[in-house]
Amino acid sequence: MNTKMIMLHLTMSFNVFLQVERDFEREYDKLQKLEDQTKKLHKDMKKSTEADIAMSKAAVKISGDLLSNPLCEQDQAFLESMTALDTAMKRMDSFNQEKVNQISKTVIDPLKKYSSVFPSLNMAVKRREQALQDYKRLQSKVEKYEEKEKTGPIMVKLHQAREELRPVREDFESKNKQLLDEMPKFYHSRIDYFQPSFEALIRAQVVYFTEMHNIFSELTDQIDQAGLTDEQRERENEAKLNELRALSIVADD
Amino acid sequence: MESPVRAEPATPTLAPPAPRNHTPSLSPRAEAKEKRSEAPAEDASEKAAAEEVAAKERAEREAQRQLLATEELIYTERNYLRLLQVCTCTIRSNLQKLQPQLPNLDSMFLYIEEVIDVSGRLLSLLDQKQVTPHDPLFLETLCDAFLSLSTDIESAYKEYLSNYNTVTALENSYKQKEPLWTEMVKVIKSSAPEVNATSLSFFLVMPVQRIARYPLLLQTIMKHTDPGHPAYSLLEQTAHAAVAVNCRINEYKRFREVADKYKKTETLTIRDKINRLNSHSIAKKTARLSQFIKHETGIAPKLVDEEFDALEGFFYLLENGIAVLHENVETYLSHLQRFLSCRPEEFDLDMDGEKPAICYKEITAALRQWILPTFEKRMRTLVHKPLCALRELLVGPRNLIRKRLDKLLDYELIEEKPSLSYDEQAVANTYKTINTLLLNELPQFNGLALTLLWGMLGAFSCLHKDLAADMEQLFQGFAQQLPHSSLEPNAFWEWAECSVLEGARMLETLCRNVEDQLNAPIVQPLSPGSQKCLKALTDKHGSGKIYQLTGHVVGTRDLDLSLNRGELVAIISEMDTRGDRRRWLVDAGGPRGYVPSSKLVRYHQVTMDPPPSPHLTVTTMDCAGGVRRHSYTPDVRRHSFSPDTPQPVRTLSMTMPCFQVFAGYDFTARSSHEVSLRVGEPIRVLEPHDKRGSRDWSLVEVREQRGYVPSNYLAVVPTSTSPTTPYH
Repeated sequence: MNTKMIMLHLTMSFNVFLQVERDFEREYDKLQKLEDQTKKLHKDMKKSTEADIAMSKAAVKISGDLLSNPLCEQDQAFLESMTALDTAMKRMDSFNQEKVNQISKTVIDPLKKYSSVFPSLNMAVKRREQALQDYKRLQSKVEKYEEKEKTGPIMVKLHQAREELRPVREDFESKNKQLLDEMPKFYHSRIDYFQPSFEALIRAQVVYFTEMHNIFSELTDQIDQAGLTDEQRERENEAKLNELRALSIVADD
Repeated sequence: MESPVRAEPATPTLAPPAPRNHTPSLSPRAEAKEKRSEAPAEDASEKAAAEEVAAKERAEREAQRQLLATEELIYTERNYLRLLQVCTCTIRSNLQKLQPQLPNLDSMFLYIEEVIDVSGRLLSLLDQKQVTPHDPLFLETLCDAFLSLSTDIESAYKEYLSNYNTVTALENSYKQKEPLWTEMVKVIKSSAPEVNATSLSFFLVMPVQRIARYPLLLQTIMKHTDPGHPAYSLLEQTAHAAVAVNCRINEYKRFREVADKYKKTETLTIRDKINRLNSHSIAKKTARLSQFIKHETGIAPKLVDEEFDALEGFFYLLENGIAVLHENVETYLSHLQRFLSCRPEEFDLDMDGEKPAICYKEITAALRQWILPTFEKRMRTLVHKPLCALRELLVGPRNLIRKRLDKLLDYELIEEKPSLSYDEQAVANTYKTINTLLLNELPQFNGLALTLLWGMLGAFSCLHKDLAADMEQLFQGFAQQLPHSSLEPNAFWEWAECSVLEGARMLETLCRNVEDQLNAPIVQPLSPGSQKCLKALTDKHGSGKIYQLTGHVVGTRDLDLSLNRGELVAIISEMDTRGDRRRWLVDAGGPRGYVPSSKLVRYHQVTMDPPPSPHLTVTTMDCAGGVRRHSYTPDVRRHSFSPDTPQPVRTLSMTMPCFQVFAGYDFTARSSHEVSLRVGEPIRVLEPHDKRGSRDWSLVEVREQRGYVPSNYLAVVPTSTSPTTPYH
């Protein structure tokens, strides 16, 4: 039994209760913050993964719709470009799906599991709180009797009260001790638990972007005009649009 | 021996205080209430004080963290500069001494001098003696230093980062030659023994990492700074400037890449064919098509239609394609924005000391704060905007085509007439004009639109390539920091999945522990009412059928009972009338009904009755409190008592006393036959009466002495412990 417990036995003063409570609060606070963060991280990861999948599918739709347009059949070179684009997008989508699956297994699921421990922990803390209330109540009852004159009936009541108190006190102490033991351990366990998740997150992205680089370098070589800066591209676009606007068949507002 | 009959029980002088409430004014209950009401008041003020203390603690912690973050910036800068200098001076000169000479060694170190210079200047501004990190003005100094140097930082780093690919390429070429590379590694290791470097790029990648880290370091400082701080807005500005510098550096990098490529000679590819493609060639193609059809059919008016129909058909396909593409691109951009709105890197689970968590945070922050936003911006400028403009331009031709059709119908009606009226002539002319106009210009339109589209798709591809390139360069900075990055993919995923499984197991054990220990019901002695009930139930059903409720139950259906936790019941049937084993029929000592079996646990009882000791008869008469027979409930899981213990023999040599006698009051012995008592002392009663048989006095043994004491000074209390030392 640690010093605090012994003190509890000897002097059941309010101050000691308060100190015990503060220690407990501090540990529990950390866990509540952790719970909050875990939930938020889980939510955010899910949201960003969904957006990621949607983006990839949208890209596939871009190329797919273009390819299925009979426009492509008008020109062989255009058809080849669109086919290349479509293939690239589909490949990227499959890599993306793989990435998402890996992240699901190694990050999102563990996050969820970790969150699911908190209800039990919170319930245990509640039970401890109940036990504490019972303890305080019975403790004050004992103290009340201890202050009275020591008549026979009072002694008997005092002993009864002490008897009632004892299992409750032991219950509280065991709950308190166990929680004070478990809470810091659990808090610390997050490091080992989540380290693989973070590494997996990074690794999955490395793989994905490496593939993206390969696929799109090839594609760009094939379908894009080289040696253009953004400014040049913008100027070219603008020039073509102006040419179009110059046509009489195009309405000018 | 004198009989001390005249003594204590009667005289007020030594008489024990009568068992009346001796509290002066308040009844005990009121007194307790007052104490309790004082306690909340104490409570509230204590709580307020406690909250103040907590708030102060929080503010101190934040200040502490801010200081740590600031110091980290300086400390890491210093370390970074030192390592760069080691690399440039020591390692470089040692490498130069290698024989045979390393080709192109100097180009590895091409732009690093400027980076070292600007880093040194930053450090000197931060590291001066007048204002230290503890000084509140330091934040301002930090921001000013950074902002004043940001242009120089940008110019130094942009050259370095643009050139970095050549550095990696060059190092790879060195790696190809095994003996050379081993020599190099030896030199590196010996030049910087305290650093665990296995390549030159270990040092040379540092500027790449460093420039990306500035925004994060500044943001961490900002996170722990109170918005009310005088330098807060300046700090915000600096953090934004750091992000902007990174954006511009990446842009410049791309610009240089493109410019460099352009200088190289290219081979003719489909790309070049596209360059050659323009509106004229498409017009030619459609004209060719119409010519072909003309030849095939030979019917003039219809041929004109065929040509026009081809153009029209192409136009509609184009229109459709552009509209669909426009929508798809908008969907794509909306998902991109949703992705950017998530901030998973903000929830680091307080693991800011762990390498993987830090790396993840930095990578995600870089992706979300400047790499993806740049991608989005370029998408909008190079794809979305021109697409919107193009879509608008489709309106004109479309309307004109419809008008032509209307005019055609009008024209067909009057076509055959030999002579046309003035109005009819006008109609014919209108049709012919529109028709010719469209025939001339639609090919141009179609061609230009198609080229535009093609260009946009090319840009789309290029944007993805640049995005991936940026991320790859970012990752290079982190590769060496992660413990498992050297593992092959399969090995890595195996390790990751194993760790995840292990983690899940750990959690399961924890959950189980918590649930098991903390949900056990409390062991409580029974009240007399419960005692009676228990006896009745045991008599009726047998002690094997007695169960206890582990939790409250509230009856929801007919014949369901509502009972409290700890109540005792006897099982009548372990299933209900429908055979459901989860509802058991119980007798609750009166009512009968169903309770869920999950809330029942076997109740073990000690059924030894305390022997009728002589003490009992004495005290039952005098003590108002009375004596209770308790049956104690030992911890349900640990003990199991056999229900039938033999009744002990009724002699003085009892082996299982369940009661203990204590001194209820102080008593001073006034003769040698008496023995003194102190309140609360445990006493052993030898004879509950004196030599004359009077029950007013008892012969007791206390503290190894024997003597008589007034019987009503004794208190009999049931003991809680299991059978103790026997009386002899």
